[in-house]
Amino acid sequence: MAQAVSATSAPQTEAAWHRRDASIADVLAAMSDIRRKFAREEAGDDDAHPHPRSCVMTLIAVATTDAEEQRAQDIARRIAAQHPAQTIVVREQHALRGSQIEAWIHTDVQRPQEACAVQCELVTLHVRGAAGEHLAAIVDPMLVSGVPTYLWWVGTPAFGKRELEDALHICDALIVDSARFDEPAHGFHGLARLTTSAHRQLGVADFQWSRLRTWREMTAQFFSPLERREFLSGISQIAIDYAGDGRGNLVAAGLLTGWLSSSLGWKLRHASSGGGGSASLNFSALRGHPVEVRLRSVDRAGPVEGELCAVRVAGAAQRTTFRLEVELNPPRRRAPEGSSYQALHPVGAHDDAGLELASRRAEQHRGVLHSRLHTLHHTASGGAPGESRPRHPMVHSEDRRRPEKTAQLLLTVIQIGEGQTLRQVQQLEPPDEAELLLDLLAGGTRDAVFQRSLEAANALMRAL
Amino acid sequence: MVIFGATGDLSGRKLLPALYNLAKQRSLPAGFAVVGAAMDDLDDGAFRKHATERIKEFSRTQPIDQAVLDAFLTGVFYVKVDFNNLDEFKALQRKLEELDGARHIPGNRIFYCATPPPTYELITKQLQASGLSTGKGFHRIVVEKPFGSDLASARELTSVLQKVFPEDAVYRIDHYLGKETVQNILAFRFANSIFEPVWNSNLIDSVQITVAEEIGIENRGAYYDRAGTLRDIVQNHALQLLTLVAMEPPLAFDANEVRDEKVKVLRAIRPLTEEDVNLASVRGQYTKGWVLGQQVPGYREEKNVAPESSTETFAALRLYVDNWRWAGVPFYIRAGKRLPKRVTEIRIQFKRPPHLTFGRPATKELDPNAITLRIQPEEGISLKFGAKVPSAGLRIRSVTMDFQYMTSFLVEAPEAYERLLLDCMIGDPTLFTRADEVETAWKLIDPIEAAWRDGKPPLGLYAAGTWGPPAAAQLLQADGREWHRP
Repeated sequence: MAQAVSATSAPQTEAAWHRRDASIADVLAAMSDIRRKFAREEAGDDDAHPHPRSCVMTLIAVATTDAEEQRAQDIARRIAAQHPAQTIVVREQHALRGSQIEAWIHTDVQRPQEACAVQCELVTLHVRGAAGEHLAAIVDPMLVSGVPTYLWWVGTPAFGKRELEDALHICDALIVDSARFDEPAHGFHGLARLTTSAHRQLGVADFQWSRLRTWREMTAQFFSPLERREFLSGISQIAIDYAGDGRGNLVAAGLLTGWLSSSLGWKLRHASSGGGGSASLNFSALRGHPVEVRLRSVDRAGPVEGELCAVRVAGAAQRTTFRLEVELNPPRRRAPEGSSYQALHPVGAHDDAGLELASRRAEQHRGVLHSRLHTLHHTASGGAPGESRPRHPMVHSEDRRRPEKTAQLLLTVIQIGEGQTLRQVQQLEPPDEAELLLDLLAGGTRDAVFQRSLEAANALMRAL
Repeated sequence: MVIFGATGDLSGRKLLPALYNLAKQRSLPAGFAVVGAAMDDLDDGAFRKHATERIKEFSRTQPIDQAVLDAFLTGVFYVKVDFNNLDEFKALQRKLEELDGARHIPGNRIFYCATPPPTYELITKQLQASGLSTGKGFHRIVVEKPFGSDLASARELTSVLQKVFPEDAVYRIDHYLGKETVQNILAFRFANSIFEPVWNSNLIDSVQITVAEEIGIENRGAYYDRAGTLRDIVQNHALQLLTLVAMEPPLAFDANEVRDEKVKVLRAIRPLTEEDVNLASVRGQYTKGWVLGQQVPGYREEKNVAPESSTETFAALRLYVDNWRWAGVPFYIRAGKRLPKRVTEIRIQFKRPPHLTFGRPATKELDPNAITLRIQPEEGISLKFGAKVPSAGLRIRSVTMDFQYMTSFLVEAPEAYERLLLDCMIGDPTLFTRADEVETAWKLIDPIEAAWRDGKPPLGLYAAGTWGPPAAAQLLQADGREWHRP
């Protein structure tokens, strides 16, 4: 069973301001005082060099549970450490009676060595009763003019409700994590619908899309060399494994399929779902040949629900068969008896990936690794040794496989024709949500490839 | 200074605190005295108590400096004046003469009408009849906007005022002009060499002026239901902002030079015909909704508002300034009550570069350059421009460069009334509106008002807490533009 996403707890610092029954006007006045005080303190006696205020964005995080609120606060603080921003965490408490707002303002001051200090503001609002249904009326007065406003719905957005629609009018982009949707397929459909119904400049971004970056890169890099471009039109089979028990969260698998199909111009011909989270999708490619995509859930410890576990692509072109397999934390298999390196380098992980690492270290010890570094360290791109190494993720062949739950290994296997099977193991840093969010914000929230993939994924998920 | 309506809202919220702060800054002349004049039956002591309470509540500087306040209150007096009763004006005259002697005042008088506009005429006539408008020293009268309710009434009011006071002794207050940030529009434009060369139709695509208030009509239902947003805000505040953005450089920052240039702009604004009004104006009225996290009633549910009222609480216009500098540049104005927030800003939107050197994919997140002059709150100026996103490849995104008064000067900006009261005392009318400005503005507004009275365009409803009726967005969409989100 895939583990649930756990919330990180925010550091508890003393609020610069707190009021139990606050009006938004109170919050605005308090923020103004805090900013003025900070500017005065930083300026000291130097009136000639006033302290500029820096703010690159307003991030509005909407949370409905304690865990979501903590998570939003924690991530906001970590982002603010590098990017001066104003964050408003709105904790909706519809179920509580009254229309009371309880407000806190926390400030974090960053003092870079070669720049003046910046103050980041974290406003937390607990909104009771019906007021929470009018999110725009609460946050609009607080928005910093002239910088982008991002609305991050930490859980499942209120798709189809006026609360969300109103809020979208005051935002430049909506950020969600489709891996956390309560009803993934339904939520994903709502997300796709937004891209056509919301105001024309609204950006939409999904943490899940960022998590797929490695998978997309590994797949794209395989086809990147010129001599392999023809393989793109020869793809005939794709198999995608995702974490879950039964039919769980298909979003990541759907998005990856949507990305491939929309990029390669495939048309969906048939879709069917079987038991236990399996599904079959039949496409016709540009030249009319069929492509079969199989999705299945696998019960794995480690990945979160819906996270991809393996992608396998196979086909033939130019009378050559090809096969690409990318697998996350491959399951442990038997270790070959009596391997010389095993005695030298016990790894405690008798699976393919562990053996691969141990094998490399054995070679390293024999003084071989250094001289053959370039051939061993081929990348999935198939480029010349030493070139085209992927920026993400980094390859750490000499690292011991980390025993922590968060350690992740990615095994890539490439088979082209009758040639030697190429294998590569990479150790991935565990996904960090603050970095994922930064990745989305920095990369822009109007990603045409994501939009296209989202629409294609939505179409195929509706067909299932 | 005589304040008519001294026990009223304007006096308590703005004038008395402004005078206290001027006293605190030692800006008031020696012997300065304030004489409150109103219908309430008070004596000096009771009025001082009233003044103390208002100052403590509304002064921008806190805590109150008791020593300054005590000293200020020694110059505060009260005379009960029924505006219909000439004898009571004569009693006021005697009181002022008594103060002249006691406080060594050389007969200078400022009569501040902090009263509803219909009383201006009566007060002016009584001042003349009682002899208060003449004598030693200067005699000035200050009147608050709105200056009339249309061109005819504005002319009538001017005529009444000018029969008693010469034009240079009539100070028409539009308190927006007293705001530091409004005055800074001129500084920004004419004290910097880099902006003026681009400040024209060659590079500017459009100008948006937003005067938004989150509050409703509060206790002014009776007045507001007759006035509406067009008269209450657009005719004065919004058009004043437009003139400052669009005016030519005056020869000097001198009262008549500045006001001459402003009038030229008003004259250059293309009048809206009845047909234009339908296409280039939007009127709206708020219904119940949510503002600042609180539920608020609709306009027709407000106190002293007719249940079937069709008075607008939102107005939007598209205007053109037909002169060499601004030919073809639309000026969009929107103003309203119960909008999502209190904000006044001017946005200068520049044209896109003539050629997309970097291609459309690289610039899809790039907005046109824009300068935003933020009048209130968080007063300041921001410049939006494109910058390369630090990453592989070439992607350009809009970024903002900010200047904020609050963190840049570290001194509290004075209240608009402090500046304006002081200017009136020293006789500088630069920041006050002249009769011809007022009349030219009414000439523009009257045809719009007339068409609106005939139901053209129809009144659009909007929920309180939103940015006006859908037609407001459509006004710009029809031109391929959209409102800036303040």
